[in-house]
Amino acid sequence: MKVISKPVEVIAHCTVSGIPQPIRFRITDKKEEDVVVKISKIIEITEEKLAGNKMYVYRCESKINGRQKILELKYELSTCLWYLYKI
Amino acid sequence: MIVFHVDVNSAYLSWEAVYRLQHGAKLDLREIPSAIGGNEKNRHGIVLAKSIPAKKFGVRTGEPLVQARRKCPNLVTVPPNYSLYMQASNVLYELLLEYSSTVQRFSVDECFLDFTKQQHLWNSPVEAAEHLRNRVEKELGFTVNIGVSSNKLLAKMGSDLKKPNKVHTLFPSEMSKKMWTLPVSDLYMVGNATTRKLLKMGIVTIGDLANTNRALLKAHFKSHGDVIWKYANGIDDTAVHGGEYLPYKGVGNGTTISYDVTDREDAHMVLLSLVERVAMRLRKSEHVAGVVAISIKNSSLIRYSHQSTLKNPTDITNDIYQEACRLFNQSWRGEPIRHLRVRLSSLIPKHLNQRTFFEAAKKEKMQDLDKTVDILREKYGDHVVKRGVFVNSKMKPIMGGVGDEEDYKMMTSIL
Repeated sequence: MKVISKPVEVIAHCTVSGIPQPIRFRITDKKEEDVVVKISKIIEITEEKLAGNKMYVYRCESKINGRQKILELKYELSTCLWYLYKI
Repeated sequence: MIVFHVDVNSAYLSWEAVYRLQHGAKLDLREIPSAIGGNEKNRHGIVLAKSIPAKKFGVRTGEPLVQARRKCPNLVTVPPNYSLYMQASNVLYELLLEYSSTVQRFSVDECFLDFTKQQHLWNSPVEAAEHLRNRVEKELGFTVNIGVSSNKLLAKMGSDLKKPNKVHTLFPSEMSKKMWTLPVSDLYMVGNATTRKLLKMGIVTIGDLANTNRALLKAHFKSHGDVIWKYANGIDDTAVHGGEYLPYKGVGNGTTISYDVTDREDAHMVLLSLVERVAMRLRKSEHVAGVVAISIKNSSLIRYSHQSTLKNPTDITNDIYQEACRLFNQSWRGEPIRHLRVRLSSLIPKHLNQRTFFEAAKKEKMQDLDKTVDILREKYGDHVVKRGVFVNSKMKPIMGGVGDEEDYKMMTSIL
């Protein structure tokens, strides 16, 4: 996986415990076209609090161009922003 | 007693570096020559923190950025972000509370931890300190130095020994080997002026100071001589003040103005904006001040100050402002001003303050007004109410301090 850290638009649902779970996200690719990626599976959710900045880190599996890929999404609690962190 | 002193390595810079890495930065600021520094356009251009590679170029904390860049042309500079620092400091404090319930926040990047009652839970204090150091690095992403000793002073000296990311012990039995060989300027509370005088007396190392006649030091430095002699001998009996409690002797606020002030009215406005903040701090601490002092630094960087004792100690913004203006008018020599500072001292707890017969009703009214303004500012931000003089003026109605971060923990000189 490579770090790309790009902000993305996300559709998510929240569990009763209050942790958002990403369903799909939209990102602009190299051809300036919007691509929607569906999250097939969330493998692991970890909480990060580096320098006190809280983020949820999601290790997910998605089908991209017909191939299953592992990627990492991040959700920053203080700003409510989503990032595609690694792919 | 077992005390830990936890000190974040190049705090501002580490926190900024970790924050950037968390957001996908490819470069770690800690591994390149870099520095945190203010805005040079507004003349706040000094080095606040530096990376270890920058230190190798001779960049020093507190020197102008221009000078630092002359030493190291590739220096990467980043403006400070105080709310990030406070956030990082808070998360460190919370983690420390897992190790002991008595944690004293000494400054934004330093804490004392009383480990006496937790000793039996661990094989040794050093093991606990190592565990803590590892957790900070793993969970919070930055590194700390931890000094372990039997009092606060030695713990603090211990954490300063070798950096970064280390645990050091400095118990009284190790003093002669680990502390006494260090230059006397490394000792806590020995600043530039004291070092100069000590060197003249032939005192070069902390060990020299420890073995100097106490009465001689007292004769030269008055009570401060006693303090540094005690510190050199590792004597300190202050307790770890748990919680947010911080004893302090005075509150101050100063600012470097973005242009040279040559006009009396402008200078008074700067004073007012400084007094606004400092009086708010004073009231928050529930004290009244007996002494008001101002200091002026002119464009040739010469500083002078003036102070007076109030007839009636006060915490009213207007009273303090009027006194500050009076002091300013008495002392200003008419030259361009670069920096102004207001300081309040001889603090008395508010409930112990003697009330006055004269103008009592007026004073109560003013106190109520200040209280209301404080509440409004706390709830809606500093700029919700401002004084009429600042309308249509470029000057900020409240100046100094560290941004809007009112809870920012400042360094203190009291252990």
